[in-house]
Amino acid sequence: MSLSAQQWLQRIHTLNLPAPVKLMNVCGGHERSITMSGLRGALPKAIELIPGPGCPVCICPEEDVFEAIQLALHEPVILLAFGDMLRVPVNVPKHQPRSLEQAKAAGADIRPIASPLEALQIAQDNPSQAVVFFAAGFETTTAPVASMLAQGVPDNLYLLLSGRLTWPAVAMLLNTGQAAFHALIAPGHVATVMGLPEWEFVIQQHQMPAAVAGFTAESLLAAMYSVLRQLETGQLALDNCYPQVVRSEGNPTAQAHLQQVMQVVDANWRGVGIIPASGFSLRPEYAAHDARQQLPSYADEARRYAGAMPPGCDCAQVVLGKIYPNQCVLYGQACTPRHPIGPCMVSDEGACRIWWAGGLRQSQG
Amino acid sequence: MCLGIPMQVVEINGFNARCEAKGIEREVSLFMLQHEDIQCGDYVVVHVGYAIQKMTEAEAQSAWEIYDQMLAAEDAQARGT
Repeated sequence: MSLSAQQWLQRIHTLNLPAPVKLMNVCGGHERSITMSGLRGALPKAIELIPGPGCPVCICPEEDVFEAIQLALHEPVILLAFGDMLRVPVNVPKHQPRSLEQAKAAGADIRPIASPLEALQIAQDNPSQAVVFFAAGFETTTAPVASMLAQGVPDNLYLLLSGRLTWPAVAMLLNTGQAAFHALIAPGHVATVMGLPEWEFVIQQHQMPAAVAGFTAESLLAAMYSVLRQLETGQLALDNCYPQVVRSEGNPTAQAHLQQVMQVVDANWRGVGIIPASGFSLRPEYAAHDARQQLPSYADEARRYAGAMPPGCDCAQVVLGKIYPNQCVLYGQACTPRHPIGPCMVSDEGACRIWWAGGLRQSQG
Repeated sequence: MCLGIPMQVVEINGFNARCEAKGIEREVSLFMLQHEDIQCGDYVVVHVGYAIQKMTEAEAQSAWEIYDQMLAAEDAQARGT
């Protein structure tokens, strides 16, 4: 059965909802689709849609961005990063480059790429030079990086890996017992790769409704209807509202490549802290391509603690869904896409950037 | 960054394919879809240059409808700034 967005909305409006219901999404793509289709205005007032930890650029640890900047500035390398990473700011004294973009302007060879295939090509084209691929991303992005390595890469290609798993951040929020949401809209393309079962814990352990959504208004509204209906009836079951693409088992080849190349480790999230078993690192068999092992280290343990969000910036609260983007006092004032203070205003996946692009310009902070 | 784009497979050469969407062609890796039978004319979800799943033509078209709307809305906002 395939309903139109309008039909799903009508169904949602007929539900008998309790007090305000908060639905969290953990995917920048979902937030973009929700904001750009104006879904918030079309839903009953009792329903709040909260953007949660869905932006890999936003939670990429400051010390990793700092390390990428230092490698590019001080080592004879070509540094590659997904375009979104280039303007992410780090906390450094004023005279030092505070982003990869500024390091590039200072003379470092830094190139934005859109695909691991480009990293492969650049490494092949520059065999005498070390090429460092600073790879930040969630499972959907990290799996192709693993596939690239599984297929084989030139000796001069090194990974500065900053891959993260999505579900442990949701688990962390739920485990605090203070989750400020009542149901979860799970990310469609993460589930495409990793499969449905990893989201079962939301229902099994936390008795919270959950549904996987795609990126059309229809799929998102179907998932919203599903979790609201689960709340109404008390009958919970993980629903797949993106069955055209998401299969229960996910993508077995992608998972095999992740398993072969990477291991799951405790990992730092910017502004959040260490989340257990939430990051990827290269397995020892791939140490020859690990920038952290093969190239000089600029890692500074102190940055883990000092290197949170920039002063005054509420990105950490935004990432965790504790406040809306426009509740940050910097939003739209000191912090705009042209002059971003925090990473949520930098990335296309960042909630602040998305809300700004959606036309919301005033801070209520 | 996790937004996959539907594309149609135009040409296959081993694990590499040429895929097309909206008149734009890209090199795409099929290395993550080794468990699938991919033929020219099939639709795939492409993320950072890798096909991550097969999809139907109808789903590809409905996905493009929303992406077109999102891009148009973002363009309109960008012009307004």
